[in-house]
Amino acid sequence: MNRNLILRGLLVLVVVGTCSFWAFPLADKIQLGLDLRGGIHLLLEVLTDDALRAEAQKDIDSLVQELDEKGVSGVTGATESPVRFRLTGVPPDRDELLPDILEETMPYWTWRRTGEDVIFDRRPDEVNNIREQAINQALQTIRNRVDEFGVAEPVIQRQGLGSNRLVVQLPGVDDPERVKNLIKNTAFLEFRLGVYPPAAGVPAVDTQEILSQYGGTLPDHLEIVPQDERDADGNVIGQVYYALEKRPVITGRDLKTARAGLGQFQEPVVNFSLTHEGAQIFEDWTGANIGNPLAIVLDGRVQSAPTVEGRISDSGIIRGQFTQQEVEDLATVLRSGALPAGIEYLEQRAVGPSLGQDSIEQGTRAFGYGIALVLVAMLVVYRGSGINAMVALGLNFVLVFGVLAYFGAALTLPGIAGLILTIGMAVDANVLVFERIREELHNGRTVKASVVSGFGKAWSSILDANLTTLIAAIFLINFGTGAIRGFAVTLTVGILASVFTAVFNSRLLFDLLLSRSGRVERLSI
Amino acid sequence: MEFFRDTSFDFMRLRRVCLGLSTVAVVAALGFIFSRPLNLGIDFASGTQMIVQFAEPPDVQKVRGLLEDAGIESASIQSFGTEEDNSVILRTSTADDGGEERTVRIEEMLQQHYNSGVSGFDLNRQGTEALASLLLEADPDDQRASGDDIAAREHYRAASAEVMAHRRDEGLIKDWSAVQPGEALSAAAVAAIRERATFGNFAVLSSDNVLPQIGSELRRKGLLAIAFALAGILAYIWFRFELRFGIGALAALAHDVAVCLGLFAFAGYEFNLTTVAAFLTVIGYSVNDSVVVFDRVRENLRRNRRESLVQVLNRSLNQTLSRTALTSGTTLLAVGSLFILGGDVIRGFSFLLLIGVLVGTYSSIYVASPIVLIWESSFGRERRQKRAAAA
Repeated sequence: MNRNLILRGLLVLVVVGTCSFWAFPLADKIQLGLDLRGGIHLLLEVLTDDALRAEAQKDIDSLVQELDEKGVSGVTGATESPVRFRLTGVPPDRDELLPDILEETMPYWTWRRTGEDVIFDRRPDEVNNIREQAINQALQTIRNRVDEFGVAEPVIQRQGLGSNRLVVQLPGVDDPERVKNLIKNTAFLEFRLGVYPPAAGVPAVDTQEILSQYGGTLPDHLEIVPQDERDADGNVIGQVYYALEKRPVITGRDLKTARAGLGQFQEPVVNFSLTHEGAQIFEDWTGANIGNPLAIVLDGRVQSAPTVEGRISDSGIIRGQFTQQEVEDLATVLRSGALPAGIEYLEQRAVGPSLGQDSIEQGTRAFGYGIALVLVAMLVVYRGSGINAMVALGLNFVLVFGVLAYFGAALTLPGIAGLILTIGMAVDANVLVFERIREELHNGRTVKASVVSGFGKAWSSILDANLTTLIAAIFLINFGTGAIRGFAVTLTVGILASVFTAVFNSRLLFDLLLSRSGRVERLSI
Repeated sequence: MEFFRDTSFDFMRLRRVCLGLSTVAVVAALGFIFSRPLNLGIDFASGTQMIVQFAEPPDVQKVRGLLEDAGIESASIQSFGTEEDNSVILRTSTADDGGEERTVRIEEMLQQHYNSGVSGFDLNRQGTEALASLLLEADPDDQRASGDDIAAREHYRAASAEVMAHRRDEGLIKDWSAVQPGEALSAAAVAAIRERATFGNFAVLSSDNVLPQIGSELRRKGLLAIAFALAGILAYIWFRFELRFGIGALAALAHDVAVCLGLFAFAGYEFNLTTVAAFLTVIGYSVNDSVVVFDRVRENLRRNRRESLVQVLNRSLNQTLSRTALTSGTTLLAVGSLFILGGDVIRGFSFLLLIGVLVGTYSSIYVASPIVLIWESSFGRERRQKRAAAA
């Protein structure tokens, strides 16, 4: 055997060995896509305008306050767009106050007077900053929440640079609605002083009952907040009302930790502890308000309104008519931090595990039959050389699975289809070569010459034929989302692998056969 | 075994008949495509698609009526999978604009009508995590006594996963025999589930929701992908072959795309993202087939300059016939088993591949080469020389 053969043999062995190492055992090394494994794919948009409006509102409030302190009262402000707000009630002769205030605390606004009003525009670079921050914070918050959910290998990432879209993929998760709610949950928690009903009193059955307490109009510092009444199954059956102080004592931001736990009647509750700062405020406030009701408000709904029985410093319990699942989600959301902006689900795909299971079974069956039929056809048509094609086909799959596993590309249902298609195409290169060899043999050449010239002449066709398909497949990879990309990847890798196995490996097998015993008279083809 | 040894079919004799047939086919296909809108899947049309399995064979008409009553118009409902699957696939467009909540609305509607007697925790609608929470609350295995809720939750999550594994195999839990004690699931836990949970009469196997902005984005991207792929393949052919062969391959390609799209639309399959993938593959395959023939033509032209183009084409087609038949044959075997066994989810996809291979094989013989001949006789070198001589 000559050196050249040995080297080529080694190369094939190394390539195949490496790929087998990457690929086997298949069950552990090949990742299944969401469509096969079941799971949830979400494409969501962070409504960064929300964050801009919220920031603008904060600045309006502090501007109004500063102006008030400098003797300009009665000023009102309203956002006109996410990046613009309008102040009304600033007399033109007091305009000189504005540059100072802006420069000191909010240099990112430019202002101009239009008649009675002053218009403020946020500088574009600062607009971008806030949007970026909102997206990064949303990404982090969602990551925290999903991590709590115990998902193996979640994908949570931005869809491209500078985009305000996030992709969330949770393989194996079978509660799509719960996950969607968990991710989207704002869980805005406030602790507020209850004014009506008084301590241990019965909440009002309608808002009228409260209004009548105050002679028809509610004082400015109060607000009416509803509470849901639930039946034993947790369904909402009605509402009752409280009058609460508008200003919260502490909010969810002051929480350090939150955990699901059990209350004194073995009912699900959330245990929380406060940050150092929050604890100080809470301790002072509870100390001064013993005997008063403390309303726990979540997303604008009173959960419970216990009476303060003593000074509370750094930890407490949130009680309500919660189910176990609700306290778990609430604890998770409180712990993960608040979302800086609202979220909209642009695209949602949830595949249950049973559908995925069916797809796997059907895909594997089609794959098995396809491969068997093709192999039989090759053996019938090419006899001995058909074995060569079989080897090539087998190696082809080792290479494809190896490369898929190496790059961590997931196998999807269209991906399996791509593999099946590859079976057909992979033998094409072999067919092109074998047909050429046959022709050369018919033309009366020796076996050796036929093999050499068969491979030589088929090469150009193999190249052209595979490159055209490859071009289509590569555009698909770039275009593709999820499952399609899976198809394009398996097809691309399959084409490359089939060229390698058919041209390199088949040639090697023929050469080995020919080098074995001086002169080969007949070739089984 | 050799099927086509030294054949000498006169393929080109049939060129007028076949070109005529192909023209009719293309015109018919185009007419069909433009006469009514394509059946766009939710990837492109946007909207909601759900696959729902029922405990009893579902009445498609009834489900449609329910959706209409719920204000969800223009829903399409078809049975899905085999008969014993008891499943339907339902699709709604975005016209009724339920936004991201539409899936919830449809589920609520189904809940009202199919689970009217069912209340409480529904094993067929809730997931693993929810069942784990339920078990944690009931705490049948006394896991919370230690005070370590995280470990307790892990314990019940494993138990819950075991119950849900049945749903994975069956799609739907129909009776309590599916919930049996197992490795992680204690007898006490089974008792707790039986006491607290129930099973409804349907399960949502998959639900997709696509908002209009994503639908239009995917449409644009899909068209771009096809356009770029076509341009790339054309550029390659232009680079590798003379103009006349490029024209031939292009004609075959256009023929294949039109005929396949027409047949696809005629069969009524849904046009979605995976279909685009199949289309691009058909494009690649169509060109692939033509290119192998032209490769041979080029080689024969170089070797024998005295033969007429018709003779060269015929000879090349005969020489490659065996390969064409075999490659198409093996690909058909593979794609055919995909079409028959691959299941409903990718039926449209495999249908397109199947007809793509058939049409592509036909066109590489009866469209690509005849067009080369026609091009040559109208604009070719000989013709030009004759004209020049006459002038």
